[in-house]
Amino acid sequence: MEDSNKSIGKGINRIDGILKITGKATYATDYPAKNMAYAVLFKSTIAAGKIKSIESTEAQKYPGVIKIITHENILPLNTKGGLRGGALLQSPEVTFHGQHIGIVVAETFEQATAAAHLITVEYNQKEEKIDFDNLAKTPEMPKGKELADLVRGAGKSALADAEVKIEASYETPIEHHHPMEPHATVAVWEGDQLTLYNGSQIINGAQTAAAATLNIKPEQVRIISPFIGGGFGSKGGQWANLVLTAVAAKMVGRPVKLALTRQQMFNSVGLRQRNIQQLSIGATKEGKLLTLAHETISHTAVDSEYIEPCGDCTKVMYEVPNSLISYRVVPMNLILPTYTRGPGKSTGSFALESAMDELAYTLKMDPIELRIKNEPAKDTSNGKPWSSRTTVKCLQEGAKAFGWAKRKPEPGTNKIGDDLIGYGVACGTYPARQRDSSAVIKLSLKNKVVYATIEIAASDLGTGTNTILAQTAADGLGLPVKQINVKLGDSDLPPAAGSVGSVGASSFANAVNDACIKITDELLAKSGKQFFVRPTAAQLMISEYIADFQTRSDSKAPAEAEKYSAHSFNANFAEVRVNSVTGMVKVTRFLAVTGAGKILNPKTARSQIIGGIVWGIGMALTEESIIDPRYGNFATRSFADYHVPTNLDIGDLDAMFINEKDFIPNKMGVKGIGEVGIVGVAAAVANAVFNATGKRVRSLPITPDKLL
Amino acid sequence: MKPFKFSAVNNPAEAITLINKNTDAAFLGGGTNLLDLMKEHVALPNEIIDIGNLSLKEIKATASGISLGALAKNTETANHPLIRKNFPVLSKAILAGASAQIRNMATNGGNLLQRTRCSYFYDIAMPCNKRNPGSGCAALEGFNRMHAIFGWTRDCVAVYPSDMAIALSALNASVKVLSSERERIIPFRDFHILPGAHPEKDNSLQHGELITAIEVPKNDFAEHSAYVKIRDRNSYAFALVSVAAGLTLNGNTIQTASIAMGGVAHKPWRALNAEAYLKDKAATAANFAKAAEAEMALAQPLAHNKFKIEMGKKALINALETAFKGNI
Amino acid sequence: MKNNKTKLTPEEHRLFGDLMPEELEDVLHSGFNRRHFVKLMGLATAGLLASYALGAEQLFARAVEMEDIPNLIPEAIENGVTVNFKVNSTPRNVLVDSRMTLLDTLRERIGLTGSKKGCDHGQCGACTVIVDGHRVLSCLTLAATCQGKSVITIEGLAKDNELNPMQAAFLKHDGFQCGFCTPGQICSAVALMKEAKEGQASFATKKLSTDPKSIILSEEEIAERMSGNICRCGAYPNIVAAIKEAQTGKNVPQNWLFTD
Repeated sequence: MEDSNKSIGKGINRIDGILKITGKATYATDYPAKNMAYAVLFKSTIAAGKIKSIESTEAQKYPGVIKIITHENILPLNTKGGLRGGALLQSPEVTFHGQHIGIVVAETFEQATAAAHLITVEYNQKEEKIDFDNLAKTPEMPKGKELADLVRGAGKSALADAEVKIEASYETPIEHHHPMEPHATVAVWEGDQLTLYNGSQIINGAQTAAAATLNIKPEQVRIISPFIGGGFGSKGGQWANLVLTAVAAKMVGRPVKLALTRQQMFNSVGLRQRNIQQLSIGATKEGKLLTLAHETISHTAVDSEYIEPCGDCTKVMYEVPNSLISYRVVPMNLILPTYTRGPGKSTGSFALESAMDELAYTLKMDPIELRIKNEPAKDTSNGKPWSSRTTVKCLQEGAKAFGWAKRKPEPGTNKIGDDLIGYGVACGTYPARQRDSSAVIKLSLKNKVVYATIEIAASDLGTGTNTILAQTAADGLGLPVKQINVKLGDSDLPPAAGSVGSVGASSFANAVNDACIKITDELLAKSGKQFFVRPTAAQLMISEYIADFQTRSDSKAPAEAEKYSAHSFNANFAEVRVNSVTGMVKVTRFLAVTGAGKILNPKTARSQIIGGIVWGIGMALTEESIIDPRYGNFATRSFADYHVPTNLDIGDLDAMFINEKDFIPNKMGVKGIGEVGIVGVAAAVANAVFNATGKRVRSLPITPDKLL
Repeated sequence: MKPFKFSAVNNPAEAITLINKNTDAAFLGGGTNLLDLMKEHVALPNEIIDIGNLSLKEIKATASGISLGALAKNTETANHPLIRKNFPVLSKAILAGASAQIRNMATNGGNLLQRTRCSYFYDIAMPCNKRNPGSGCAALEGFNRMHAIFGWTRDCVAVYPSDMAIALSALNASVKVLSSERERIIPFRDFHILPGAHPEKDNSLQHGELITAIEVPKNDFAEHSAYVKIRDRNSYAFALVSVAAGLTLNGNTIQTASIAMGGVAHKPWRALNAEAYLKDKAATAANFAKAAEAEMALAQPLAHNKFKIEMGKKALINALETAFKGNI
Repeated sequence: MKNNKTKLTPEEHRLFGDLMPEELEDVLHSGFNRRHFVKLMGLATAGLLASYALGAEQLFARAVEMEDIPNLIPEAIENGVTVNFKVNSTPRNVLVDSRMTLLDTLRERIGLTGSKKGCDHGQCGACTVIVDGHRVLSCLTLAATCQGKSVITIEGLAKDNELNPMQAAFLKHDGFQCGFCTPGQICSAVALMKEAKEGQASFATKKLSTDPKSIILSEEEIAERMSGNICRCGAYPNIVAAIKEAQTGKNVPQNWLFTD
């Protein structure tokens, strides 16, 4: 963009794209192994109780069956080894419907599946806790300290004095990550050494959790994960299926392939929990906020706690003297909820930013003006100064680019034929952090050409990590991208943070950048010469005739970063068309303006923002998993029932970035975009639906029946 | 899948002879629904007779209308020039269903034999009278947002999922069926059945019978027809409510209206009350509304699908208006 | 399997010579097979493609040479059916369990893992392949029904070592992120070009009651016709742009906006 010699900032094609468009990218189950056996999981059909007996005689005799593994014969595993969601077959206890209770290993997938259907299980059933609507009336305090009530000023009690009040409850349903690649593993043992081909957002995390659960050393486990068919949080922490594959392979003495079915994805690898969020806003008639309370009730597993922090955005978005953020929780017989794209912030911003829109309408004020009016000078949650904050800029630039002035404030007045048109706006934020990561750079000189290999146990789940690291190294070493070889997705490489929580780009790119600086310094020292202009590592390799040279850098966030509150911010603008006959909504236009620091590659960054918008549209309009409380299982258990947006659900999407130079959070000024891209999207859509129809839908998704 | 013997046959007689030998055998056409159900262990045939090679693929004009080969693909049917010209509502309905890939595989005969998408039917851990007679209906008091508002019983509240068949119902089609004894023609209204005492049965086809063709009579409302589908996402989703409508007009007067609804019953729901109301009436918004009222007055919603009454009215009115405008 | 030797381009030759010199002879003699490919991917991941950009592009555009299909032990096949069909123009003969889908046959028996299993129930499109010219779902197709048919998978779309224009357009427009749905998307899009040429209609077609004739697809038409391919990463607008460019042959601009 700026310097034509620089690679960073250029929208180059993905360097691994060629593999993806030719079908040659290797995902977990694409790895061949000699003498592979196939495993399938079978699952409980009750939500709570104890297995009385498992009858598998017929299945044992089924052609091709090698072994049936249940709690009665499985090798002992450490249930506290760091895997999420339990279900490791270590006891007959059942704590949720669809818990893994056994594995069938056979010569083929067809045989394993058929045999699994011959197994019958008897249970001593207990009464299950699953009816959220009822349980939510008597929730508990969460165990996590970070979820204790957070009160500032007079808290919610200040509401009594406010001239204008908004009090409303917003509901978001259970959602599932549903990466296109169902979780799957190929496990290969060579003696005591285990190789696990397994899509892993956190390579080293998967390695340590697998090792600890298997009661072996981390160095005995190698995770190979060069490509991940989507994760969105569900492949961050690893789940039982990873280790169950390894155990099956150990017990049958052959490589084993185990892939979850799409139906099994509903109760095997976490979910985004259902939330009831009560928002209470008190304001002056002029639109200055006086109090802001965000009270969330959600559910967790009966034996483990995960709560998505719905109040996080509310903590930092607006200047308000009095506030309350609280969480209450209901333990339920359901798989453990887990991080799901924009955890807490995406769902929380739906409530907060819908409520702000309601306030704007009550005040008859432009919702952009209302937000700008309450812009905080510093992070009100901790008193720290912002490293930089782009909310106002995002709103103003977005309003211009989107044509916000064309919005008709009065709901239901913008009509074309049968279609009602509406505009909505909503803001979002996500913290910017850098996590410890190490990178090795290896330089070699061949025929007067310098090649670099970058090694880092990072992962690329479609975010573009491979590409941005090649660009970073290219600039850091003075080489063209095509002379950079990026190796990631392998636990044998230097340890790195995970591709989670928007820490990937900043952690990995800074590690590589630091390694580039270090290797250049070391080459300079090795040369023993003084230069007027600092040469690049590539130039030094050539001038000093060095055949091979390498270094490793272990990078951390700058100490200074702690003193500031660093976030990515965005403003989302939605235009919807609601068909007044069918109630069907189409998001015809959407613009996300994002201040996320340095954008390393605008092509892949735009794709990620657009992906976040699509996720937000799914959250707003189509996605919902429904539990039948009588049985404790999902009544929506296929892609025919769980509606991920299709191509036709998506209109024109645009991504705009603020040229933000914020080098406080990390040296490269990279803030992360994967999570912030979804934050505020659902609210912008819901607000646009209100503007179009005058109907305020506070319970997602906004399906046609809700707009009749 | 349960293991099954596989054989491919080359003519209808061979197919029928084979299937008559085994009550657990099933014909395989496009397979888009059968394989799906076999993978879920909902369908458990022990023998598959592949009829994909039979020459029942012709779409041809007949003296009375058009004949659709049972094994012609949905895509081919929707795009046949005669169908686009004379039966555009059929094209529209076919194209409203599933995805391009599925329509390339699915056959006309197989489309009629689609089984319900009720999630309890699909989940073998759940009770379901359609899958396991006598086990109960989990949907009756369960999650029944997608389910029937007409013609259901306490034993089954499932809806029939096809879009194509809704148009065929409005088009007064009939189904040509061959068995070892005879060839018979089943009028469309009698082909699919309400759950009644046997929710496990979706239609009046007997084991041993093979659909050979669907006959669609000529109509005089090709231009004045419409297919409206309301669904949870803009494409590739089953209908919450759909309506196929054709209006035979004399100026602005409706001589006859042919209307069928999808997503509301165990079979394509012929909107007879609306049709009766509209007969010889002026094609006005008020009359369309009254006709919709007349039809939906009989609806009996379940706990989660009351919205289908209002949605059904709107869909009916919109289909009638669109058909009247005549620009399909 | 094939006895015609592979003629490597100079770029491909350099790539093998540098990275896998020990295999160069074998590649030249018996072709680029799956074993070579997996070994190559083990040596260097994505970055390899940058270092050997042109060679890698040519190499990966190539279909991996078909290897002999190993027989399974007899117990591993019930109700065996022998299927003779063409896969990416190569005749194949394989004995399969009657239950085996085309998808699993391609992936587990023939070693063509490009086609993906996203749902196994015809609800996502990741397994889309082209059979006798039509895009279909390989997960809902029994291999046993493929006797005499011709199957094209993502691995067979390129012409020798030249990408199909649809593949190139997907790369340029970033029509994917994780890449898992991509083989199905691209197969679907390639078949869509033929459908448009034949004038096939869709639910988005404005006037159905006209005679089919070749059409240039609007964005809405592309989106509707591609809705059988779910992309969870949400690359839809990029997929539409790629298809538009591939169909029209005209440059479709890419927009990312920056502001100070």
